[in-house]
Amino acid sequence: MTELEELKQELKKLNTGYAKIREVPAEKRGEFGRELNAKKLAILDQIRVAEEAALDTEVEAIDITAPCGVNEKMPEFYSVLDGSKHPLMTELDRVISIYQLMGFDVMESRQLDDEFHMFDSLNFAAEHPARDGYDTFRTEEGLIPPAHTSTMQHRVLKTYKNRLAQGKEIAVVVPGRVYRNEDVDATHEHTFYQCEGVYVSKNCTMGDMLGILREFFEKYYEQKLNIRTQPGYFPFTEPSLEFMIEKPKALGGKKGDFLEMLGCGMIHPNVLKMAGIDPSEYHGFAWGGGIDRLVMLRYGLKDVRHFEAGNLNFLKEF
Amino acid sequence: MRISLNWLKKYVKIPVSDEELIRLIGARLVEVEGVIDETTKYNNIYIVRVVIAEKIPETHLTLCQIDCGEKDLVQVVCGAPNVREGMLAVWIKPGAIVPASVQEDAPFVIGKRKMLGKYESNGMLAGADELDFGDDHSGIVEIDPEMARPGELLVDVFELSDKILEIENKSLTHRPDCFGLVGFAREVAGILGEKFEVNFVRSSRRAGRISQSLTGPAPGTVRYSARETFRDSRGLAQGSRNLLQISIDNSVCSRYTAVVLEKHGEIRKKYLTWQDTILAKSGMRPIDPIVDATNYLMLLTGQPLHAFDYDKFVAVGGSAKPTIKVRLAKDGEKLVLLDGKEALLNENDIVICSGDVPVALAGAMGGESTMIDENTRNIILESATFSLYNLRKTQMAHGIFSEAITRFTKGQPPYQTLTVAEECAEMLSDGFKVVDVVDQRSSAGRRLENENSFSFCSSPTAVKITTDEINGLLGTEYNESLITKTLENVGFEIKRKRGELEILAPEWRTDIHIKEDIIEEVGRLLGYDNIEPTLPKHGTAEKNKMFGLKLAVREAMKEFGANEVLTYSFVSGRLLDKAGLDKKNSYKIVNSISPELQYVRQSIVPSLLEKAYVNQKIPFDKFALYEMNKVYRKDLGFNDEQVPVERMQMGFVVAERKGVGTAYYKAKYYVSKLLAEFNIEPEFLPIKSKAPMNLPFEDKRAAEIWVSGQCIGVVGEFKNSVRRNFKLAEYLAGFEIDLDLVSELATTKKIESDFEVREKIDETVTTKETYAETLAKILKKYPGAKITPVGIYQPEGVETKNITFHIEK
Repeated sequence: MTELEELKQELKKLNTGYAKIREVPAEKRGEFGRELNAKKLAILDQIRVAEEAALDTEVEAIDITAPCGVNEKMPEFYSVLDGSKHPLMTELDRVISIYQLMGFDVMESRQLDDEFHMFDSLNFAAEHPARDGYDTFRTEEGLIPPAHTSTMQHRVLKTYKNRLAQGKEIAVVVPGRVYRNEDVDATHEHTFYQCEGVYVSKNCTMGDMLGILREFFEKYYEQKLNIRTQPGYFPFTEPSLEFMIEKPKALGGKKGDFLEMLGCGMIHPNVLKMAGIDPSEYHGFAWGGGIDRLVMLRYGLKDVRHFEAGNLNFLKEF
Repeated sequence: MRISLNWLKKYVKIPVSDEELIRLIGARLVEVEGVIDETTKYNNIYIVRVVIAEKIPETHLTLCQIDCGEKDLVQVVCGAPNVREGMLAVWIKPGAIVPASVQEDAPFVIGKRKMLGKYESNGMLAGADELDFGDDHSGIVEIDPEMARPGELLVDVFELSDKILEIENKSLTHRPDCFGLVGFAREVAGILGEKFEVNFVRSSRRAGRISQSLTGPAPGTVRYSARETFRDSRGLAQGSRNLLQISIDNSVCSRYTAVVLEKHGEIRKKYLTWQDTILAKSGMRPIDPIVDATNYLMLLTGQPLHAFDYDKFVAVGGSAKPTIKVRLAKDGEKLVLLDGKEALLNENDIVICSGDVPVALAGAMGGESTMIDENTRNIILESATFSLYNLRKTQMAHGIFSEAITRFTKGQPPYQTLTVAEECAEMLSDGFKVVDVVDQRSSAGRRLENENSFSFCSSPTAVKITTDEINGLLGTEYNESLITKTLENVGFEIKRKRGELEILAPEWRTDIHIKEDIIEEVGRLLGYDNIEPTLPKHGTAEKNKMFGLKLAVREAMKEFGANEVLTYSFVSGRLLDKAGLDKKNSYKIVNSISPELQYVRQSIVPSLLEKAYVNQKIPFDKFALYEMNKVYRKDLGFNDEQVPVERMQMGFVVAERKGVGTAYYKAKYYVSKLLAEFNIEPEFLPIKSKAPMNLPFEDKRAAEIWVSGQCIGVVGEFKNSVRRNFKLAEYLAGFEIDLDLVSELATTKKIESDFEVREKIDETVTTKETYAETLAKILKKYPGAKITPVGIYQPEGVETKNITFHIEK
């Protein structure tokens, strides 16, 4: 008898055991039933494993070194007409290319990080409620799938600070995937993409920051744009701003119709200090904003949930 | 938070249009989420006098003749029990819209109609609920005859033609002072370049009659003036009435001010007041005179207040010497709150106790046992500040999101607790007199004894800065006098010292510590929009190899007819099981949204198998999906930064619903051609390792991909069990490769010369050996030749196969 058959026999026996419940005193029936059920589940699990193993043994080996199967046609690609690139990735590539032309290096963001990079190194006071505002996920070990690409700021500053000694500036963008513990709907995703920018030099100003951001968006939308700001609050920048652009005409924008594009500000001296950069000698600015929104605007998409749904009806449009 | 523009205008002179004001507030203070336009909400609603009121027999109705300022009286039928001759009431004229219904899809228009078949009723006499001033439906609103005359428009008497700003609270997280109208108004003055002079505001000398001062305090003229009243009460307290002790846990309560009030008369809550309309416009509801006074002052100053019934408080504590004790709750302690629900407390919650018995959840909600009611004789007014960290957690743990806790969690500074309590006592002075005042500061609390105890706040540190430093960071050219004036307008004190400005923040600004904080104030108040955008010089960017690689993969894979997808980084335990992976090797999310998103994925392919199922169901007959993304596994360990090692991997799955032939070769073809793009020629070797990436693949029909002595991935068909688990059709294969390794190995593709003329032949080998072994022999025979396979043929019943090569010598 095979192992599988034995297991099935045992299951049969168990099933007949249920009839005996009448012989058990009423107060002990619950316990009896629970024990029986647990045994049954364990055996069912073993049966599943045995069945899978049996299924996997009925396999014929092939010559893995060959380019094609015996008596089969040589393999071919699917038609180029079927191929597609993910619109988020295409746009992210475009965003990065524009920044590269503007002199920014690229460092991709991590997707699992720690409290230190996500908060401590960014001047979030210990236990500060601002930490809650990011609705972070956490692992059993206390690791954090980052809620913003700013999680890379400290690394960028440390990695590139030798540039400053050489009399050059730090200019880096950080694209990456970020996560927030929030309910998903047409305009909210728990998983999305951001792009961070970090610039540090001896004498850069907030005017420079506004100039770079306007330049970027004008290149991205290929037209002149009106910009606007409003005060914001982030522990890692001071002053902090929200940056807005007037909705481009090509996207059906009207005059006075402003869109919030990103958060930005002058890097907080504590953040520079933590990375070993003297804030009395250097200052800098940083910004970060969502990519999903840019793409939705550009393509007129209404539902952010398409991006991670993996549905070919959507993907083949790109 | 809601801000009434009319209320705001009482504290600051606004020389610009509402539209411009709203734009400026957005650009220089806080995000304005929306504007509620109430300029027409109260149209055609009048103050009237009820001249004749006759009961209609056998009904609850009253037939009224009202004087609405015209020559003739108008007849209205009224169902309210409190209608009586001589009273001033509010009349909604026929044709007018009931204000409470203006937001509805079909606003309710009042008409002229016959009641009981014979009594004509023109319009209606309105209750507070119909006017959108509260939930009170017990009777009609009565107007103070000292305030208005019949025929006047309600909108004029109470200044109801208003615009209400809806403020995004999040962008004021660091500005507790702006959660009171006074603080908000101070900022608006600063934005407009005006000096804000109002320190604290007395709206009325008499309780419940704020409505009398409708013209309001003019900007810059009214100062806090309640001291005389308090001096009297203090006399009482010092004399004989030592009614209360306070004991606070310094770590969670920075200041606790308690004022004991004794009832000496009735507070009349009879007339509609201007204060009621302010509460309503701010999104709150008038309830009773005591609660209304505390709420109004909270909206005005940002300092929340709470009222306890003193006698109940003493009874609960059971001691002749009542003590207010502020402490952390014990785990499992219980407290019945004002809403009747029993809260199960934890050791993070702060409780107010009578003796040691909890009577309120500090900052969040009062307790039922000390609730004030119509029989209350004596009151304890609490004006205190608590640790925002604890309250933040309390808010989450108990789901209490009141206006009060919203303010506390921004970190209200302790400087004004006494002032606000005093103001409240003053507002209630018609019915209550002050009999004891106790003010306890953390570390050094003391009973109020001398005039100096008024300035409780510790002196903030001075920030030294130069105008060059300010302009240097902003990229502006503001001169010293403009900078000085801008800061002084909102309460900063400035001394000039040897070319430096020494700047002292006002006591309500707990967020000013460093130069950048001052720079922010200047930049913001003068308008970031006034900063000229400039472009700094920049160098040349370095090439990012991984970015370049992924870009090239996307180009190639599109050419190859494959589809790029993105799938979540988090997967279900079931998905890992289905793919034959070990859950224990995945980092587990403790606060995942759902079981579907509980584990950090170890590889890409399982997510693609799931999407392959979705697409086969649609149905798509055949497709090739791929994704490039980061993966994490516990067995990879930690790097030098003490964070998990990460790998950038590419997963690929090809699936056909009706495909024939061996899918393995299709996947192998894709991966070979893709790697060839980067000049990588891999070897395909039998699967030896139990690497997590290999686990879904069938050893007998899959291969490890090796390059220069290292394994960079796996390609092949999946285990039958895996394929069945994902409910996919038979024709199925895929690969997973480590892009970090590919990136290291990649070199620029050699461009082959088209001009080289080679001799071309086809050769067929009959053999029992594998393809690779046969190929090796052919390569030996034709060194340097370019060899391409043409086909493998095995006639039926024969053990050998014929492998044909195309050879270019």
